[in-house]
Amino acid sequence: MREPDRVAVVSAGVVTPIGQDVDSFWSALVTGTSGISRIERFPVDDLRVQRGGEIKKLARERAGETPGCRASRLLIAAAEDLLARAGGAPLARDARRIAVVVGTALGGVEEGERALAGDRRPSRLAAALYDGPARALADWLGARGPVLTVSTACASGATAIGLAADLLRNGVADSAVAGGYDVLCRFVMKGFDALRSLTRDEVRPFDRRRSGLLLGEGAALVLMEREHDRSARGGGRLGYLLGHASASDGSHISAPDPNGRGLQVATRAAMKQAGVGADEIEFVSAHGTGTPLNDRIESAVLKRVLGKRADRVPVTSIKAHTGHTMGAAATLEAITCLLAWRHGQVPHTLNLEEPECDLDLVMLGPRSCRPRISLSTSLGFGGCNAALILEGA
Amino acid sequence: MRPARLPAPMVVATGLVSGWGRGLEALPDRAEEAAAGRPVIAIEGPVVVGDRFRRASRECLLAVAAVEETLQSGIPREVLAGNRTALLYATLSAYGASNRAFIEGARATSLHFPYTAPSAVPAEVAIEFGITGPYVIFLGGAPAALSALWYAGTLLAAAACDRALVLAVETFNECADLYARGRWLVGRPLVEAAVAVLLEPGAGVLTYSEARSGRRVRASRSTGRRRLGEAFACGPLVELGLARATGAGPLDLSLTGAWRGTEAVLRWAEARPTWSQKKFSTS
Repeated sequence: MREPDRVAVVSAGVVTPIGQDVDSFWSALVTGTSGISRIERFPVDDLRVQRGGEIKKLARERAGETPGCRASRLLIAAAEDLLARAGGAPLARDARRIAVVVGTALGGVEEGERALAGDRRPSRLAAALYDGPARALADWLGARGPVLTVSTACASGATAIGLAADLLRNGVADSAVAGGYDVLCRFVMKGFDALRSLTRDEVRPFDRRRSGLLLGEGAALVLMEREHDRSARGGGRLGYLLGHASASDGSHISAPDPNGRGLQVATRAAMKQAGVGADEIEFVSAHGTGTPLNDRIESAVLKRVLGKRADRVPVTSIKAHTGHTMGAAATLEAITCLLAWRHGQVPHTLNLEEPECDLDLVMLGPRSCRPRISLSTSLGFGGCNAALILEGA
Repeated sequence: MRPARLPAPMVVATGLVSGWGRGLEALPDRAEEAAAGRPVIAIEGPVVVGDRFRRASRECLLAVAAVEETLQSGIPREVLAGNRTALLYATLSAYGASNRAFIEGARATSLHFPYTAPSAVPAEVAIEFGITGPYVIFLGGAPAALSALWYAGTLLAAAACDRALVLAVETFNECADLYARGRWLVGRPLVEAAVAVLLEPGAGVLTYSEARSGRRVRASRSTGRRRLGEAFACGPLVELGLARATGAGPLDLSLTGAWRGTEAVLRWAEARPTWSQKKFSTS
């Protein structure tokens, strides 16, 4: 990759059901902590499945200082973690050169539920628009550059990171805060419950006994800069985004393409952009929802893309730890890739005991290895697929 | 670092379905006068039929209809198929009706839940036309459409695709009471619309900038609004289509859009007119 195109991931911040900062998130991943519990924040008694990755109490929340919208509060909590880790330095010299690119599957739909339930405050209605939380984050950050909301369903967090990289590479912004979020709410629980996608068992990605997913909530953000700017400014990096791509399946409104066509196109395109061959990929942070269809299709694509090395590249899914955090998921999984390099450990796939395929699935406990170059794959409703190629620093 | 100057894509074709009728020629000179006080100019009746669409939401059908309109200029459907066509979609509102129907129970089944996702709209287009290339969905007002156009320019410049279909859909009728409550945020008349613009690599200069003014002035503003009315993400695409349709020479215009304190400008300057020579072959 040409040096001017290289985009550095400077810092990260998260809020998840298993940890409300990057350190506690990582610690929970490698110790196999589950964030799944009975949902308490809204009524679920009439639903078939009543569990999910719910954040019970936001640790950094201070009354009156953050917006009323929960989605915005999650984003701001993640941004607080990100800024603390970035060392307190300003994001850019000029606030007009700071971009905010955020992905979401649900936006402020919970606010829409409240507005339709009789809350007539205009602010509630405005917050129901899916682009509201990204604007709240930009306001909180003092960012005055582009504010983009993308919604490629559960691939949104990867799409946002890729788009932010393109804003930087094309000089539209000098730094970008990018990532994703989503909130567990009755709307989405009712929807997935109706689809019968939720399991009454544990989430078991890539296990032959897997029977579905559980939803979760969270927010994850990364701070990105062009590498040559970062070098000039000095300071550390978590890693680099080497390549990214997206592709549509064009096959079904909610199910993935049975041959994984879109995911394969996106993965190969991301590898091409990164200038990375299959023999260089050392870790895969998979989408791995635990649904029968997703995991079968994804493992078949990984076998095709990785070729002869498919049984030697560690693959993991973190969705049994956190639940499927939808818009946040792909960003959390990208951060996992970079943390694996930093800590020299790959987290295991929780609840995986009987692997269905012959990929090198990391199971039963974390594995000691230091993957420099990683692939993160994501799929979503509407045939959305995205892939990221990351390098640890 | 200054914003990169991308090659300005060539506008190959535009398709529009709106509350005013089909095509750019259906637009009135002044939307506000033509609306005669009506708050919403809705698109009436079915626009696309077929068994595959029996559960699709109205916004999905409008999107497919807009792309069909784009092909009316003689472009074979096969041109769009495959992974060399990018699909970039922008909307502010075209999930509101399906979300509301699901929340209120009118369409709260497993068959209807997937249609609550904004991605359902471009998904139906991708399925119908076999599009499997780069795929991004931008949410917001007119700036979201400008972001989509700019992103199409970056994908074409990087040869990540051979053509880009930029699509916007806005619907209001099912949520007209909610928009009435949010009058301070949106303009009038609200005009339902679906517009598609097909782009291919071109020559010239495309530059993009977007910034938050922080001013709490008019919540929404875009070029194209005078004739179309308030149609958020559709506005800049309609303006681009109007410029292409009315000008014989190279395109040279600034598309602007504002939404909730964000203002975006896309400068589109073609080096030479190229579109009229475009011939399509599926061989």
